[in-house]
Amino acid sequence: MAEIGLRNLTKVYGQDVTAVDSIDLDVRDGEFMVLLGPSGCGKSTTLRMIAGLEAVTSGEIMIDGDVVNDVDPAERDLAVVFQNYALYPHMSVAGNLSFGLKLRKLPRDEIDRRIAATADMLGIGDLLKRRPRQLSGGQQQRVALGRALVRDPAAFLFDEPLSNLDAKLRAAMRTELIKLHRMLGKTIVHVTHDQVEAMTMGERICIMRDGRIVQVGPPLEVYRNPADTFVAGFLASPPMNLLDARLGGETGLDEVELPPVGLPLLARHKEALQGRAGGAITLGIRPEDLDVEPSAAQHAAMTVTVVAVEALGPEVILVGALPGGQEVSARLESDFAAPAGSEVQLHVDLERLHFFDTDTGRAVTAS
Amino acid sequence: MLLSPATGGNLTLTQRDRRFGYLLTAPGLAVLLVVITFPLFFTVFTSFYDYTLLTPNHDTFIGGENYQEAADEEYLPGSLWVTVKFVLASVVIEFIIGFIVALSLNATDRFKTVYYLILLAPLLINPVVVGLLWRMLLHSELGIVNYAIGLVGIRPVSWLGDPTIAFWTVVLTDIWHQVSFMAILLLAGLAALPREPYEAARMDGASPLRCFFYITLPLMRPVIFVALLLRMIFAIKTFDIVFIMTKGGPGTATDIISYFIYRAAFFGLDIGRASAMAVGLLIIIIVLTALLYRYMRSLN
Repeated sequence: MAEIGLRNLTKVYGQDVTAVDSIDLDVRDGEFMVLLGPSGCGKSTTLRMIAGLEAVTSGEIMIDGDVVNDVDPAERDLAVVFQNYALYPHMSVAGNLSFGLKLRKLPRDEIDRRIAATADMLGIGDLLKRRPRQLSGGQQQRVALGRALVRDPAAFLFDEPLSNLDAKLRAAMRTELIKLHRMLGKTIVHVTHDQVEAMTMGERICIMRDGRIVQVGPPLEVYRNPADTFVAGFLASPPMNLLDARLGGETGLDEVELPPVGLPLLARHKEALQGRAGGAITLGIRPEDLDVEPSAAQHAAMTVTVVAVEALGPEVILVGALPGGQEVSARLESDFAAPAGSEVQLHVDLERLHFFDTDTGRAVTAS
Repeated sequence: MLLSPATGGNLTLTQRDRRFGYLLTAPGLAVLLVVITFPLFFTVFTSFYDYTLLTPNHDTFIGGENYQEAADEEYLPGSLWVTVKFVLASVVIEFIIGFIVALSLNATDRFKTVYYLILLAPLLINPVVVGLLWRMLLHSELGIVNYAIGLVGIRPVSWLGDPTIAFWTVVLTDIWHQVSFMAILLLAGLAALPREPYEAARMDGASPLRCFFYITLPLMRPVIFVALLLRMIFAIKTFDIVFIMTKGGPGTATDIISYFIYRAAFFGLDIGRASAMAVGLLIIIIVLTALLYRYMRSLN
């Protein structure tokens, strides 16, 4: 059991490459926390600092309230599953699982018992005598996971463990990791650049960019209320449509203008946009909040020219161009079809509009 | 079809590639044929004839007599023993020093190029020059080594005059010359090792010493094997250093097999018998090479 706390954690490589820039984060005991961000955002470096594989430039790492900056990685009682598995190539699967236990001088029968239990849990019992190179990617992944489990650590650190698997296996392993977490109830910090992984696995996700934390929260909350345009554009595929717009109407705060359309503002939005009358604004619309039918309670219509129709099977993604030239994606029913160049009327769910400051990209919300 | 008239009619792409390959390697193969293949077959052929420098012809076929004579040579076992000692001593010491150097260099980030250059310098020197160089440095009256140790009150050492010391002098000269080969081969192996298992081992709580024995050594096994065998094959046929520094002496202290054969040929003037011994040496080296080849293939 472990709580992990990061205080002003910073990592600078060389003279001036700041990989992690003064971040604060609290991972609760037993929580499944996902660090999400594009490559180079500092998420892996953060994980490696927690593990102790990377020295901390400044700030503190705390495990259960104790500062562990200078504690040897082996003494932190954490286990890491690496992206490329990092198995010991010359040892059998059993050797890989037992290595850490032998170093900790556990009795032989206890080691055997744990290996058997872990192998059983992961379904790798018949692979114990094999060498890593005789295993498939998925099997190696299980062994790497097993090597972490067998240690029975206080917390697990996953460094993109699923990114080398093919799509089908990845989906299966996602489910297994979720089950495993539920069964063990241990703290997990999981690093990924895959937003689907983050959305499905994390109890909370922590989105990072350029070495800083942009937003932390439960997946749906982050999805519904992205803190800025980066988060809005990063989560979900296709991401939120971000459109350059202007506030307008008689008072300058009646509607949001996407010439020639003006979408009426709800009272709630007007309140949030107080003081920005007539100004530029970035309008965010999720593709699923656009529909060919006027299905939402409060809606407004706009016409787009069809650029492309991507039939995905269960749904159709329509890419259309607004009269001003800006493109929007809409997630539509699977039976939708329209030739490129034709005009389609889309209805916007006004309840679900998002507004971001055009200059800072920060979400505009009622304070 | 655009290329076909110039590059050869209806040949398939593979055939054309192969033909071009032969064309490119032809000059090199021709040279090898003259300086390696011909002498090789000449030696094997000669080893069955009574061919001496007094009767340099292939008139008298004597079957295995040269081999019988060679086997009966009074000083052959001694020379073989010197060779075994020389090969073991130089290869083992080179391996130990080479591995330590490789490990330290592998852990270094700065000035790597400088170290590489320093390491490579001896390898770039011709062995004859190495022998001459050390013979001068170690000269008992005029050499700078004896002068230097004289400054701190050590009596002059007869580096090449005393049988025991002379043997080790030759070994150390060979080590000085060849150790970088070992170091660089091992360093290449170390640099290619995956980094991740070491991180996993750190999480598992392995000390650097354990990492060395449980990860580095097992992972390096193929490289180590190849390095040792390669150096052994080279060491067995060492000739130049002995020829320049000691001429096999004092007595028979450094009379390694290649020099022994050389003496049989050019002092004993019995080319036939020398050829027989050379063929014997060749077989030993072929066996070692085959071993190396089979091992390297088994790695893939």
